[in-house]
This record gives sequence, structure tokens and C-alpha cells, in this order.
Amino acid sequence: MEKILSKKALPQWVKTLTSYKVYFPKKDKDERWNYAEIDHEDINLAFLNTTLPPKKLLFPQKELFLEFAKTADGDQETLEVKEILPDEQPVVIFGVRPCDARAAWLLDKVFAGEFTDPYYWKRRNQTTLVGLACDTPPWENCFCLSVEGSPCSEEGLDILLTDLGDKYFVKSLTEKGATLIRAGKKVFQNPKPEDQKRAQAVQAESVKKIKRQLKDARAISSTLKRMFDSPLWDEESMSCIRCGICTYLCPSCHCFDINDELESASPLKGNRVRTWDTCQFPDFTMHSSGHNPRPEKASRLRQRLCHKFQYFVETYDKFQCVGCGRCISLCPVGIDIIKVLEKVNQHGT
Amino acid sequence: MAKIEDLKEEAKKLLREGKVKYIIGYGVGGNGWTAVPVFIKKPEDVDGLIWDPTCVHNLARFLVDEKRRKAKEKQPDARPVGIIVKGCDSRAIVVLLQEKFIDRKDVYILGVSCEKAGVVDDKKLAKKLKEKKPKKIELGDNGQFIIDTDGGKVEVPVEELLAERCLECKANFPVIYDVLSGDKTKRAVDKPFGSLEKIEALSSEERWNFWRAELEKCIRCYACRSVCPMCYCDECVVDSINMAVAADTSAEEKAQKIKWIQRSSESSENFVYHLVRAIHLGGRCIDCGECERACPLDIPLRFLNKKLEKEAKDLFGYEAGFDSSLPALISCFKDDDPEDFIR
Amino acid sequence: MEHNLYLPKLAEITGIKEEVAGARAIKTFRTAFTNGTRLEYRCGQCAMLSVFGKGEAMISISSSPLVKDYLQFSILKMGRVTTALHELEVGDIIGIRGPYGNGFPIENWKGKNIIFIGGGIGLAPIWSVLQTTLLQKNEYGELTLIYGARTSNDLVFRQECEDLKRKMSVFLSIDVAEPGWNEFVGFVPQNVLDKKPSPSNTVAITCGPPIMIKFVIKALKDLHFEDGQIYTTVENKMKCGIGKCGRCNIGPHYVCKDGPVYSWAELKNLPQEY
Repeated sequence: MEKILSKKALPQWVKTLTSYKVYFPKKDKDERWNYAEIDHEDINLAFLNTTLPPKKLLFPQKELFLEFAKTADGDQETLEVKEILPDEQPVVIFGVRPCDARAAWLLDKVFAGEFTDPYYWKRRNQTTLVGLACDTPPWENCFCLSVEGSPCSEEGLDILLTDLGDKYFVKSLTEKGATLIRAGKKVFQNPKPEDQKRAQAVQAESVKKIKRQLKDARAISSTLKRMFDSPLWDEESMSCIRCGICTYLCPSCHCFDINDELESASPLKGNRVRTWDTCQFPDFTMHSSGHNPRPEKASRLRQRLCHKFQYFVETYDKFQCVGCGRCISLCPVGIDIIKVLEKVNQHGT
Repeated sequence: MAKIEDLKEEAKKLLREGKVKYIIGYGVGGNGWTAVPVFIKKPEDVDGLIWDPTCVHNLARFLVDEKRRKAKEKQPDARPVGIIVKGCDSRAIVVLLQEKFIDRKDVYILGVSCEKAGVVDDKKLAKKLKEKKPKKIELGDNGQFIIDTDGGKVEVPVEELLAERCLECKANFPVIYDVLSGDKTKRAVDKPFGSLEKIEALSSEERWNFWRAELEKCIRCYACRSVCPMCYCDECVVDSINMAVAADTSAEEKAQKIKWIQRSSESSENFVYHLVRAIHLGGRCIDCGECERACPLDIPLRFLNKKLEKEAKDLFGYEAGFDSSLPALISCFKDDDPEDFIR
Repeated sequence: MEHNLYLPKLAEITGIKEEVAGARAIKTFRTAFTNGTRLEYRCGQCAMLSVFGKGEAMISISSSPLVKDYLQFSILKMGRVTTALHELEVGDIIGIRGPYGNGFPIENWKGKNIIFIGGGIGLAPIWSVLQTTLLQKNEYGELTLIYGARTSNDLVFRQECEDLKRKMSVFLSIDVAEPGWNEFVGFVPQNVLDKKPSPSNTVAITCGPPIMIKFVIKALKDLHFEDGQIYTTVENKMKCGIGKCGRCNIGPHYVCKDGPVYSWAELKNLPQEY
């Protein structure tokens, strides 16, 4: 279904969503944006993009898996293990850029398949993503077009908003999206033919504005296979400081750790918890014996790029990178994956 | 004024004569104008070196990588590495020398003086330029930054764009060097530790709430620790991302390793991580500001380290990173050290 | 709702046998689920064992799927979780979730000769195949075991290996000569070359330390075994066990899900990062 929503009416729509937890991008004192639960005052979508992608709400930094406790009844000690699923709570996230939604769509593939992840899916199924098409590229390093995305793509979204100046062109893409629009009722108007034409024109214009490009991304996939032992990785990773910024801020990275966190050792009580982890930390692949398949920064940089541009393509026929540009903009030492992959292409041919 | 050309000749000579393994310096990054760390191995690549107000990185951090690399080699190349340093970065090298982490013969220091300027804070720059996109920044002759933008040249007095740490800087020129470009002129600093005033004026409850709000944001990416030259421990005592185990480490030793904090980013864990790191940097931090710059969530980490720097000065009259012959603050004592906090 | 794959089922330790004492201790644990259920699994599959409060470890199931009374795991004391397991006693409760992995394709090996080549604790993953083929001996060709360890004290299933000698060819070895040792002295790959198994209608399975696997594969190639005739299990650090956390990722595969059993024909095409 397609509707028109005037920008002034956006807060009214949000007011009708009483049963949902609503998230909007919120600006902090340093002009950086992050998703936060709104308190009805500053609702507006005049933002570029958030530092932390919406993955932090679907796949949070800390996820409780289960709790275990030993209870003593006289001499008898019983161990009880209980599953803890995320709370039942419908969520709406407004202002999701198409690249971040596409990343959520890619994460859906990872967490489904032969084994489904109940924690991810509990959150994903109760979350509605309202996207905002990019009329200008939100980051200087956006390159979504090169990885088969676009500033107005629809994968992963439930609703797509296109900015027409004083109003939004609202396109519902799924049943969850339709439900959200129906909740707003009279706040919406029906679109006129010129609105549809404007929306298409805005989207076509936005595609032309993406500045950065990664040429022949598909060719890079097969070149990477031949470059496994290349000295290029050593050169490009010399300045890497092996922090976790590129992977933690990436909307489609999903590596995690599982640990037991104790509240008390005796009597035994604690939780099994999932936390974000990154292939860039040295001990990610380290065996207990001390043997580490990826001891060097070079092998870890190679792993990240090959996973995004070769291994994921071999499994799902899609790039795992959505071209959001966060890793390039926020890497403390300026490692630029577009430049690295361009060198891969040059070396390989 | 410091000019990179002064150092390029020296750099080319060092590489041609094989006196250094490689030179760590600044080059132009992917976006065409801001600096990134570069590693120059061949004399013909030396022309890629730059020096401008975007050279924020503390290159002393890569001396830690160099040491780790040498430790893994069977027959390590004993030649020094060349390194380009600003005043603050040179103090980091002095701290590493004080702690005997590296030897003086391991580095050949090419110093550049910031004179009365320093480096640009990219957030202040974005606010100043608003919609205009910068293409290049240079230091002018009259205490201003000259910024080339897509909307023409803009001139801004340096005080408006300098990083906060530059406004409190104690070392505008390197305190240790083999070659120096630029004059040894200092900026007048009216209020060293002036940036702490706002926080020190808060009551302890307000301070607690301030830090709780800030540290709740932390996602424990460890960029702050990874970018710091002084956080060189192979296995961090607070939360390690690197197990220092070998094939002959016993199972009991591995099983009994203490986990001081959990990996999950709860407020309590984040507090312990940041406070322990600040304490371990007490008397060692030289305020290069990289931890705060690297943080993707803008946590004001400099306040923590700056406060401890102030304590080191007030209590022990000690300033880190000026004299490499002095022992590290926490590894020595004087008979007249204050004892009023021992009850 | 579908069963939560991260939730372990509680199991009681019904038997503990000390195979190897000392610094590189190995214990064999027999377990049974507290709710009386049984696990259906294939030879070569693994399970995640939980010691609540310490963590989980992925261990291969070393008993044959045809044995219904218990699930057997042979565990080398290596780190936090395995040390905690070694401190448990009969009657203690652990968590088990699984089975994970792809298992050995033993249905394809009916009628063939099978050579089991193990080193140290590496005998445990292939023990389940060995026991299964022994129980169905008339469906397979000749069975041979070539197994070695550092010293005679480091050999696992020592008594069982001696008993096996009545049913099949068993060639043991240790690295350095000891008084009283009458069999081969040397590394396992050298023992393989010494015994010269024929590749004709034969499948070879090997498991052990990475360096041993490398040289055993080389020895088998020297003996003219084809890549598709050589099978091994790959070990990698694992946490989730279901191919999501990324830790055991090699190329497009997750060892916990697409492995750990690989033929050399498949393994040589993956990035050599394990």
C-alpha cells in the first residue's frame, strides 16, 4: 500500500503507536546520531546516519541465553537450567537507512538456515523497520551501489519513506508495515500520481549522488581466492591496531562469544550470555593449546575482507558488505577497504 | 615553520643507506586529504610523506608492533625504525624508554614542531565549515589555518579548530629527536588542566551520573586501549583479547586465570575497565588524545587520564615523558613523597 | 516452538576412567541424560559439553551410535572447561547439546577396507567409527588400526587396543624407545610408511595433532592413496556449534556445521587456516 504522510504529522503517527517501543535516531552533544527510545519531543528524521547500526537492537551487545542455579535442599543439591528469551515487546525503529536494512536482511539468512537462532528471531519478528531512503549519501564513504545495494533498496524493510520535501511518500512492503500504517489511520493521505512521479525522481537522483565506487566487485570475489598467500595483506594491515571498531559498527557483522557469567560461585548462580566478538582480536581463533590459525594481523584483515566479499558470496551469492562506509569513516588509522580491494583487483590481474 | 621537505632528504638518505628498516610517517589517506599512518620502505616512496594539521595519530603506537614483530623473528633485524613525531608523540617515546620497553638505538626520531599550532579537531572543523567540504588544510604564517574547500578558501584562527589537548599542550616541539624540523617555540598555556575545571566543579553525585551516562554507551571495542602506545601489555589484566599461552602452559594455569570483568557491556563492567585502564596509565599518559579521538561513541576519556596526570603533578611534581633518564613514577619513591592519605 | 539449540540437556556422569595421568591427563567420561532420552547421532559428530559456571567445550562423541546405554567422551585436560570436567565425579550433572557436525560417511564405505590412523587423543573421534564397523564387521572389508602417542603412558584406550588385536590388525607406536616396548618406535606417519597399507578398495581415516595429520596425509599420498580416499577431522575453536558465531569459519565453511569431517579432496580446496 502507498500513502502520503506530511512531515508535521509524523509525531502524530508515532503517538498512535502506544503498544510499541519506538526508537528514533537521536543526536548527542557532538552531533553524532544513535538510536534511542524517544520521548515524544524531538521526533524528526533530519539525520544522516547513526554510528551504531540498528543491528544493536536486533542483535544486542549482550544477550542472555539461559540462567543456571544450584539450590540446596538439606543434603540434596539440584541444578536448574532455564532458558531466558527476549521480552515480548513489539518494537518500531524509525529512520533505518536502506543499507542497514539490507544488512538486517543478510543477517536473517545467517541466523536462519539449517539451525534457527531463537533469540535473534524473537527480536526480529517483533520489530518493524521503517526505512528512510537516502536523498543524499549519509556518509562520505557510502558505496552501496557497488555491492548490489541502493539508496532506496527495500530488502529487510517493512516500510520505506521517501523524502519529498514537506512530506514523505510511504510505501508499505510487508504485513508488519501495513499494520503500522493502519494504526496511524487518519494521519495518512492517499498519494496523487505526481507524488509517485516525484518519489521515483528523487530516488533516481539519489542514485547518481553516490560518490565512492568499488569497481567490478564480483570479479574481486574470484580474485580474492587466488590472493590468499599474497604479501599485500601484510602491507595493508601494517597500520591496523586490532581494535573492534570495523566489525562492531558493521551492520552485517555477526560474530559472537558465549560465556558463563557468575553472580555467585557458591551456591552456583549465573547466566550464559552472548556478547559481540570480532575476528580482529588476536585470541578469536586461538585454541586452548595456544595454536592460533590467524596469529598475524595480515591473516585477520584477509579474513574480514574474504568473508565479506568471497566466502559469503560462495554461500549465499550476495556480498555481506552493504557499502555503508562506517568502517572506512571510523577506522582510527584510516584503513580503507575500497582502496585495499582495488589493490587486490590490480594485483590479481 | 616545520616543513616536511626538511625531513624528506634525511628520510631518503636513511633508506638509501639502509640505516633504518622502514620509516613510520604520515601519508595521504583514502579520501585524498586527511593523513593516515604510512610505512615507507623504499627511498622513492618518501615523497608520499606529508605534514599538515591533520596528522593527529600518535605513531609511537607502531613501535609496539615493531617490538612484537621482532620478538617473533628467529634472527631479528637489529636496525632501528625511523619515526616522525610531534611533541606529544615524542613524550610517548620517552615513556617507552623510561620503562625500558625499547632502547634508544631502536628508533631514529625525525621530529616536527607544531610551534604555536597543533592538530585540527575534525568535529570542530565540521561545525565551522557546515556544508562546505574540506579538501586540504595548511598552517598559515599568521597563526591561522588555511582550509581549501569546495566553496573556496577559508581562513580560521588556530584556536578555534585546535584539538582540546593542543590548547593545553606542554610540548609543542619534540623533547627527543635525531633531526628536527621547525622552531622550538611554545604556545602560552594559561591554564594547564583547564579542561578539567567543569568536571571538578561538579558534586560527586553529579560526577557519578555524568560518568554513568557516558560509560553506558561503551561497546568495549577497545579502540581506546588499542590505539594507546602505553597499553602495550600482551595480555591486559582487565579484559584480555589476547591469551599469552604457549604449548607448555599448564591446563591449571589456564583454568585459574582470573576474569576481573565480563565481556558484556554492562555499566559495572565498563566502569571497571575504564577506571583500571586510567589508573594503569597514571603517571604514564602524555595526553596525545588518541583514545578520545578513536572512540566511536565520543566518550570523553581524556578527562579520566587528565585527572590522573594532574594528581601526578600535584602529589609528586611529576610530568611523564620529558626525561628518559628518570624512572617511571610508579616504580620509584622519594623519602619526601606525601603520605597524608595513608591513615 | 522449535527446540532452542543453545539450551543444553542435563546429563549425569555415570562413569569416569582415567586413561592418562599427569600433565597431559586424559579421562574418559560416560554420560546419560537425566530425563532418560537418548541421542541419535552419526559417527564423527560432536557435542557441546557444559560445565555451568565455567563454559562449554566441543568434544567428539567417541562411543558408537549403536551403543545405547551411554554417550562416551574422551577429554584431554587443556584449559578452563576441560580442567573443570576433570574435577567432576560420578553422579555430577553437566549439560550436553548436540549432535553437531557432519559425521563420517560410513554408508559409502561398505565393502571397503578401512585403516584408522590416530595420534594421542586423536583416537577418540575415530573410535566411534572403529567400534561401529567392528559391530557390523561383515559389512566392511579388512579393518586396521595404526595408533601412536608420545610415550606408552599417553596411549588412550590402552586395554581396549590390546583386546582389539584379537579381532583386527593393530599396530601401536611410541615416539621414543622405552624398556619393555616391543612394537614400532617412531612417529605415526613413519609407522604408516613402515606398514605400507595398500590403497586398493581402501579408505583411510586419520586424526591427531595438526602436524601429524599433515605428515600422515603426505605418507598416504606417497603410498598412492587418492585424495578422496583420505578422511580427517579438523579441530577449531568453537562456541556456538551451529555455524553462527564465526569462530570456526574456514573459507565458506563452518567447521562445526559443514565439518569437522573432511576428505582431503575437499580440505585441500579450503584456505589452509586451521
